[in-house]
Amino acid sequence: MFNKFKKMLGKDNKEGLVILSPVEGKAIPLKEVSDPTFGEGLLGKGMAIIPENGRVVSPVNGKVSQMFDTGHAVSIESDDGAEILIHVGLDTVKLAGKYFTKHKQDGDIIKTGDLLIEFDIEGIKSEGYDTVTPVVICNTDDFADVVSVANGGTKELDTLIEILK
Amino acid sequence: MTELKYVITDELGIHARPAGLLVKQAAAFGSDVKIAVLDSEGNPKKLVDAKRIMGVMGLGAKQGDTISMTFEGDDEGDALNAVESFLKETL
Repeated sequence: MFNKFKKMLGKDNKEGLVILSPVEGKAIPLKEVSDPTFGEGLLGKGMAIIPENGRVVSPVNGKVSQMFDTGHAVSIESDDGAEILIHVGLDTVKLAGKYFTKHKQDGDIIKTGDLLIEFDIEGIKSEGYDTVTPVVICNTDDFADVVSVANGGTKELDTLIEILK
Repeated sequence: MTELKYVITDELGIHARPAGLLVKQAAAFGSDVKIAVLDSEGNPKKLVDAKRIMGVMGLGAKQGDTISMTFEGDDEGDALNAVESFLKETL
């Protein structure tokens, strides 16, 4: 299915950027996320993943703009100019770092697939937090559009989002 | 140009949600809006465009930090008033 989609876009959009999935789980549209910060696109367009494995890996080659002190989120600037925020769970800033392990820090140069964060899915759930993980393009306005590609079961580094220049 | 200074009182600081909300406020105006966290001597540690989410989040502004925001343009007064009310309500 992804190949067909790529073919549809491919010829006319050689400049499109592909963002791979940083997390394994179930991909859902961002608008299904109950937190309006994400669901209403306040931080940009993108997708969300209901995680099934507590790992966040880099979806692109680029640089860590900000590893949040609490390890619940990371922002990345890709080599081709996409500003990506990966936010593990909703309101998880309040956990103040509990259940999160950071593997990179601000300014680190990263390659696709590098481990960024590990998190304890059951631990986070046990404190009553939703673990749904939005992946948003903060500079959506710099591009023609941001298109959801994945749907449902998604492995790490499957194609998640396509950015049209 | 006008300027406002504000001390962050929210215990979580400017994390993802408030950064998004603040950018939305700033982006509603035509004026250039910049934001910085000040050091103990009142000098900006890092100055960023307040209309870019990544920059505002990247300030890592915490409870107790003083931020400075500058507004420059035709609607700078309105922009300052709107942002100031937002800061008082939210941060």
